[in-house]
Amino acid sequence: MRRWRLTGGQIALLIVLSFLLLWEATVRLLGVPVYLLPAPSRILRTLFEHPALYAQASLLTLGEAFAGLLIGLLAGVMIAALLTLLPGLEEGVMTLAILLKSTPLVAIAPLLTIWLGFGVLPKILITALLTFFPVLVNVLSGLQKAERHHLELFHSWHASRGEVFRHLRAPNALPYLFAALKISAPLALIGAVVAEWTGASGGLGRVMWLAYTNLNLPFLFAAIFILAAAGMLLYRLTVWLERRVIFWQSHPEA
Amino acid sequence: MKVEISALSHTFFTPQPRPALLDLTLTIPSGQFTAIIGPSGCGKSTLLRLIASLLQPTSGHIRLNGQTPAEANAARQVAWLAQSPALLPWLTVEGNIALARKLLATRLNHQMSVHEALQRVGLEDAAQAYPFTLSGGMQQRLALARLLIQNAGLWLMDEPFAALDEITREQLAEMLLELWQPAQPTVLWVTHNIYEALRLAGRIIVLSAAPGQIVADIAVDLPHPRREDAPAFQDLLREVRAALNQAVEVYA
Repeated sequence: MRRWRLTGGQIALLIVLSFLLLWEATVRLLGVPVYLLPAPSRILRTLFEHPALYAQASLLTLGEAFAGLLIGLLAGVMIAALLTLLPGLEEGVMTLAILLKSTPLVAIAPLLTIWLGFGVLPKILITALLTFFPVLVNVLSGLQKAERHHLELFHSWHASRGEVFRHLRAPNALPYLFAALKISAPLALIGAVVAEWTGASGGLGRVMWLAYTNLNLPFLFAAIFILAAAGMLLYRLTVWLERRVIFWQSHPEA
Repeated sequence: MKVEISALSHTFFTPQPRPALLDLTLTIPSGQFTAIIGPSGCGKSTLLRLIASLLQPTSGHIRLNGQTPAEANAARQVAWLAQSPALLPWLTVEGNIALARKLLATRLNHQMSVHEALQRVGLEDAAQAYPFTLSGGMQQRLALARLLIQNAGLWLMDEPFAALDEITREQLAEMLLELWQPAQPTVLWVTHNIYEALRLAGRIIVLSAAPGQIVADIAVDLPHPRREDAPAFQDLLREVRAALNQAVEVYA
């Protein structure tokens, strides 16, 4: 007889569905009022009753998140490369980066809104700031963690620093880049929403803020559902991409 | 490439001073296949690292055809192979050789193609495979092909086959000899295995336990292929064994 085997994706779906069912049952059985916690069915109905509103807001927020992530990614990779090629700069630049990282987002976000207005630019910048640091730290350690036996081989070829970087350090840092992406991609969504929360003319953050101030919880949760789905999708996309790019990783080191 | 080592000493400071090599003087004529054998921690690897300019000696001199190790390294005249094949996992078999060829291109004074190098180690059919799909023996063969394409005057080999099983190790030792025969570069080959040393090398240097000093310098004048049951082989085996026992006792 054939044994039933569930894939990882099926198990995840099952867990999410059970959670939603439990939520639905709890709300209905205990009669929780909708201004405290709406049932999932109510949230989904709200979502489908206002498709244009949510589509527009999602597009804006996801666009900001994606643009910010891209900038954070590029900046992180470029600075990590620079610090590897010019190691003298590392301490100074890392101190600055940590300083930037430890400044609370809620302090920077309103400032950027004051300086740059209610448009998309401050949201993209905040997302970039938030996603930049994990990329910098991970990629830098990936670039520096070349194996000793590989370094000795390149030494025996009298390879230049640039050649070692291009043919050894850069490919070696790819797994670290994906590890960073797994952290930074969900952070990008948070960055965009938090930035919108502090003042925006549109987006999911704006929708959530409006719903929150009106105690319209189905509206608020509908936005959260979209964000959760987007975060999961982004993570899956990263894993899918990772498997294709770093095909040698799942095998023992040669 | 002639290797001249005079009064070479090396001490590690980690953090207590730990002498690894002491007052080593040794000349290896061009084209000699030399095995270096000794108890573990006797400074064999340190010696190779000093010649490869991976380390700077505390005192003494090394000259490779009259050049310093750094100069010979800059001329890409010193090839290196260690226990790990150090293959790049993101490149195919062919890609690994092609990269060596590309980075060494300005110094290659011969025109060995990637295909020819792979053919010499019997890997031409695996050209498109990735290293992680190969067995340990095949990976080390690939490393040998990469060594070959460098066309260096000196091969430094730090226990290249130590991680392999007995049968594969014998096959690879055989192959190493075949690859060495045509151009006959100087070989400095660190090994733990007395039989392996006696089958391949023209000379065996026995080093004492740390700090490494030369205990015996034994010429192996036997024609290839060598038979282990030949009386001359057995005599040399006893001689090397005796020297090794002495090497362990010197500082014990």
